[in-house]
Amino acid sequence: MATQLDPSLIKGLTIGLGAIGPAIGVGIIGSSVVSSVGRNPEIQGKIMTMALIMVGLVDAYFAFVLLILFTTHS
Amino acid sequence: MIGILAAFTAEPLAPEKLFSLGPVPVTNSMLLGIVSLLLVCLLFGLAAKASRVWPTSRLAFYVESLIDAVFGMMAETFGDEKKARKHFPLLISLLLFILVGNLSGLLPGIQTIKYHDVSLFRSWTTDLNSTLAMAVLSLATVHFYAVKDVGLRGYVRHFFSGSLRNPMTWFIGLNEIFSEILRLVTLSLRLFGVIYGGEALLFAIAALAGNFGWVATLPVIFLEIFVSLIQAYLFMMLTASYIVMSTSHGGESSSHAPQAAMGAA
Repeated sequence: MATQLDPSLIKGLTIGLGAIGPAIGVGIIGSSVVSSVGRNPEIQGKIMTMALIMVGLVDAYFAFVLLILFTTHS
Repeated sequence: MIGILAAFTAEPLAPEKLFSLGPVPVTNSMLLGIVSLLLVCLLFGLAAKASRVWPTSRLAFYVESLIDAVFGMMAETFGDEKKARKHFPLLISLLLFILVGNLSGLLPGIQTIKYHDVSLFRSWTTDLNSTLAMAVLSLATVHFYAVKDVGLRGYVRHFFSGSLRNPMTWFIGLNEIFSEILRLVTLSLRLFGVIYGGEALLFAIAALAGNFGWVATLPVIFLEIFVSLIQAYLFMMLTASYIVMSTSHGGESSSHAPQAAMGAA
């Protein structure tokens, strides 16, 4: 039963599964930014800086995935 | 496919030792860290020397505009100009030092110049030791000012708020202390992971593209510049909001909704 898995399959799955969460997070941030700028466009600058902070917090998790991926040699 | 992926090896996770200065080993990231430290000091020094009420020097004008813009943001975060002015030197130096450290990894010759089979330079923030050192520095500042501003009793009550007879208070307090430790881990690992992951990504794309590496890596380099800016800003902003959260006297902290949101991260 213990078949040898292809390491490139594992690497591809790592990127694919790891990207799901951050992608959903960035999407939610983007949709909230668009709707809140639509509601009051005069504070667009403030909203954008806050949104960029949140994007930075969220896509750090994808960076962890890349970190794990590139530092494991199989 | 796997042959190509196995052919390249990104730079190792740990920085490599170049030589020792007495008992202290000097690694390649320390070397570039010292160089970028000198660069930032030189920039600030020249700007401070050329600074006038009516600016005549272009450098002084740009540095003053940057500092003014960042100070505006900090005054908004702290909600109090005097308090912002007190903590501002640490925050602006963290911002510029991390920014120079992040961007220096994109310069040519950083990982390619070799010294005894070890790359001579390695950007400062792609080393977990250095980001951990900066996180320790900023969190030590946070706790120092927390004790100084609200007193030791208020500092402890910040964790264990509520009746001490209630076991729930102890449970929540222990969770708060654990999240305080977790801040150290996330603050250092986020900066390190993003910058190191980005450089490894550049390396991998260059290896996959072969002869067309110069055109394939171009968009990724722009992404890296953007991410470097965001991460340097984020480190400063998180330090600022930790200071705000821990030095506020309970009750008024509810008015800082964005800081409370960032504290959860």
